[in-house]
Amino acid sequence: MTTTAPVSQVSDVVLEELVQVLGSDHVLTNVTDRYARTRVPAPFPVHRWRDYVPDLVVMPGSTEEVAEVVRVANRHRVPVVPRDGGTGLTDGARPERRGIVIDVKRMDQIEEIDLQNRTCTVGVGINMLKLNEVLAAHNLIYPDDPASYPCSLVGGRIGTSGWSLIGSRFGHTRDLVLSFDFVLPTGRVIRVGDGGPKTSKSSSGYQLKHLFMGHQGTLGVATRATLKLFPKPEAEFSPFWAFTDFDSAYRTVQALAHAGVATFAGAVLFDEEKVAYLRRDDEAYIPQPGDVRSLVCSVAYGNEDEVRAGAKRLMRIARDHGARYLGDEISEGDWAARHDRYATPLHGRTRANQVVPMSWHCEDAAINWTQLPRVRQEWHRIVARIRERFDAFDDWGMFFYTSASTGVDYLTEIDVGIWEQQLSDEMWEAWVEAKRDIAGVALDAGGSISACHGSCREGEVDLVPTELGGGYDVMLKVKRALDPNNIMNPGKYGLDRAYGPSGDGAGTSETGKEVS
Amino acid sequence: MVYRYDEQATPPEAEQVTDVAISRYEDVYEVDPGLMVEHVNQQTFPNWDTLRIIDSRHDHLQWMHDHWAHTVISGEEVLRSLDEEPGS
Amino acid sequence: MADQESGSGNEPLVTEPPAHTNGNGHRQGGPEQTAEFVAEWRNAAYNCFSSGHKFCREVCPVTQVTRNESWTPTAFHANVVAMEQGDMAIEDMAADYVNCTQCGACELRCPNTLFTGDFYRFRTKTVELVKAVRALAVDNDVHQPGWQRWNQLTDQRTHEPVLGEVPVDQEHVRDWADGLDIPIGGENILFVDCEAAFYRTSLPRAVAQILQTAGYEFGLMQEQWCCGGPAAEMGYVDQARRFAEHNLANWRASGAKRILVLDPHDYISFTEEYPKFFGDDYDIEIVLVVELFAELIREGRLTPSVPIERTVTYHDPCRLNKRKGIWSEPREILRAIPGLEFKDVDRVTQWSYCSGAGAGLIIEKPELTAAISGRRMDRAAELDVDTLVSACPWSERPLSEAGSERSIDVVDIHEILAESLDIEVGGRTST
Repeated sequence: MTTTAPVSQVSDVVLEELVQVLGSDHVLTNVTDRYARTRVPAPFPVHRWRDYVPDLVVMPGSTEEVAEVVRVANRHRVPVVPRDGGTGLTDGARPERRGIVIDVKRMDQIEEIDLQNRTCTVGVGINMLKLNEVLAAHNLIYPDDPASYPCSLVGGRIGTSGWSLIGSRFGHTRDLVLSFDFVLPTGRVIRVGDGGPKTSKSSSGYQLKHLFMGHQGTLGVATRATLKLFPKPEAEFSPFWAFTDFDSAYRTVQALAHAGVATFAGAVLFDEEKVAYLRRDDEAYIPQPGDVRSLVCSVAYGNEDEVRAGAKRLMRIARDHGARYLGDEISEGDWAARHDRYATPLHGRTRANQVVPMSWHCEDAAINWTQLPRVRQEWHRIVARIRERFDAFDDWGMFFYTSASTGVDYLTEIDVGIWEQQLSDEMWEAWVEAKRDIAGVALDAGGSISACHGSCREGEVDLVPTELGGGYDVMLKVKRALDPNNIMNPGKYGLDRAYGPSGDGAGTSETGKEVS
Repeated sequence: MVYRYDEQATPPEAEQVTDVAISRYEDVYEVDPGLMVEHVNQQTFPNWDTLRIIDSRHDHLQWMHDHWAHTVISGEEVLRSLDEEPGS
Repeated sequence: MADQESGSGNEPLVTEPPAHTNGNGHRQGGPEQTAEFVAEWRNAAYNCFSSGHKFCREVCPVTQVTRNESWTPTAFHANVVAMEQGDMAIEDMAADYVNCTQCGACELRCPNTLFTGDFYRFRTKTVELVKAVRALAVDNDVHQPGWQRWNQLTDQRTHEPVLGEVPVDQEHVRDWADGLDIPIGGENILFVDCEAAFYRTSLPRAVAQILQTAGYEFGLMQEQWCCGGPAAEMGYVDQARRFAEHNLANWRASGAKRILVLDPHDYISFTEEYPKFFGDDYDIEIVLVVELFAELIREGRLTPSVPIERTVTYHDPCRLNKRKGIWSEPREILRAIPGLEFKDVDRVTQWSYCSGAGAGLIIEKPELTAAISGRRMDRAAELDVDTLVSACPWSERPLSEAGSERSIDVVDIHEILAESLDIEVGGRTST
């Protein structure tokens, strides 16, 4: 039976070279292998799936195999797209020019646990929760805690420069990863870190680690990483408080962040639209009285005596700000659920309130506390406008999370439901425009388009040059220098601009043309 | 413990809790079935399945606590100790 | 528009003819059937595909060992969406769906089940989806060679060919009970699955003698056939239905009011497949023996008293723990046995565990089953135990092999209970 799936553009010569490197078991050409590795959880124009399907997939088992694959790709100018968990939210792993997906999940071994220096070295295909199950036997933990904690993988955390729910205490991925093996777009392998493999802070030479984190697979492929470990916390404290209005909650969350409690690991503010949304289908909030309109939660980890002392301060501050504690059952249950808090599709509602399965757009701007109310207002307005036009969009409210221990800025999230089964080109274009407007608000407020996912999605990516200013030119120069043939995840971040009108390398577009 | 088809196929009576949610088991909520008639229909859901999911959710959340820390501090206890402080 | 969703959970009542049947009521492949399949599964497929979370990935036993995204529950759902778009046909997909033991970890762990499945009465149903795709393949003449042969032999012999080249048959289905004087017929019928009846005969002998010790009256079926569950799991739905119809009729002819079940796979068949086939007509009670034994111990009708000096850990069978939420009674039984040092691993951690034998995987890809069992036994070995106790005969074969490489005995819970009740079980645990 003929189907409409795209035929592979990779030549038999290339295919044969890859089989030589990896063995035929680890070179996958079936349509199912390719379709499964196209999208990520971010909303996807499913009606145009075949535009993004890779030509084939490889599953290397070592750094050397990754390097060889990249060399083959360079020789033949075939695009490669690194893919680890495929749980990112900014289309970093979505192929823009098809090509070869380098799926690194096979490299998931724990190579070493160094109990004295408190590090471990792992293949980047490993998941943090599975790693921590092993580390628990040594009373240690690797506290990199995104909402995708049970399913995101170390390599993707490096590729996105991940953000952690408890980063205010333990740091984010960039603080927790000490070093990693990295395959450059030419196939050369380097070790990236702070000097030695197990050092946390170096001033020797250029500090390259941050450059090679958050590049969304456009500068190469991490294969093996050394991580910083902490003692497994003795105690956890995670209070939830209710407020009658957003403003009191908003002031309270900053008071908590400003309190200087050493075991403070984060605080989250829920706006009124978020609470209204939760009343639809969240068992903790359905029975709440009508005057519960806004919420704050906080979390602390550490030694029991220190957590208790900190807990008293936090509870007193909240109480003095008019908060009502929601009780232990909700506080404990809802916090435990935060370690795997990707939205479930049936939260979607049409304007007539009927349940529909919606994909989840999760905005993640970095905004200063002083700007949160304004961003909140403008974002809800943008979503209301698109919802008015199309019943396939839904506003699921906003969260604001501390990113640092001082309350300087908040990961500011609006959740938008998108009914993918209904998508047409017109609706998708309207969405891309709304997305661009949402990103624009973040920049007008002096923030960043993205605190954690990255910003290479349609709509927002157009504003990255504005956000980085002169820094974007540096980005282009670095990209060109490291990836002369433009084979490493080409088309991301508008980086084709680095290659000029002559179109050097694989799959380049004309200068200045937007990549979609 | 004994499986009987007719028992399993008969969910407990529903009580309306809000205009969009009902309840059949104590402290457990369900969507008002009227919201799932147009685009997505509800599945056949024997009672053992409902109960299994409720119990598993509770078990999973408990497991998550244990995974992250050895003990959980009670906010209610902390509040009580604040109330007992002089001048509070 | 509001058609009841079928297959994905809202099965039409048995009185309606099954999807796409020919004049004989047999299932029939073709484009219309594919269109019906896609219409039935599209919401479920989008529910997974558009969320794309993949919380399922790390609990899946196949994915833990292979790391192959093509065999994840996410891919299984995504393929249906691609099929709807005309980008994929059953011939392209069938081979991928071999790689699943239908353990149920993914669909339970999925937030769409775990956090909201009960709320919406709509949960992830990867197991049903895998079965449905396998059935679609069979209906369209796309067969897996090992499964095709297995189910043909089962059809010929009315039992699964669990002894390999040595034929099994109706004549010998009760041989395991030699010397136990079990009557035929009665209100309580003990159903003994193929693996236990022909291969691991120590297991049904243990169960039967424990029931006798407790004074619990029971009999055997007049003519027991395979439950039909494996056929259903591998996509041979017509055969599964025929076998179910035979067994139900024979239960009634035997005077049965309730069926005692010692194998979790049968428990699934009788509480999930059979209700789909028979609906309101299904008035037989199903009792899981391990739950019954825990109750008898509580009531004092069974008192294990012979100390068993073993250091044990318990393997939660997937079809009890994940699929049914049954985890507590087996532990109760183990704690009632004197002399045991019991090193438990909690039931949530065991969502990630599996023997790898289920849903025909051991037939079509024994090396993958061996890898999964190996991994399971590595976890046991870390605990420094000499024994792994399981409550599922199908798991015990591959686990025993992996266990022998690690000096860990694999014992069935009914066998160890019988030993502590001072019963000389007899039979054998392997060929």
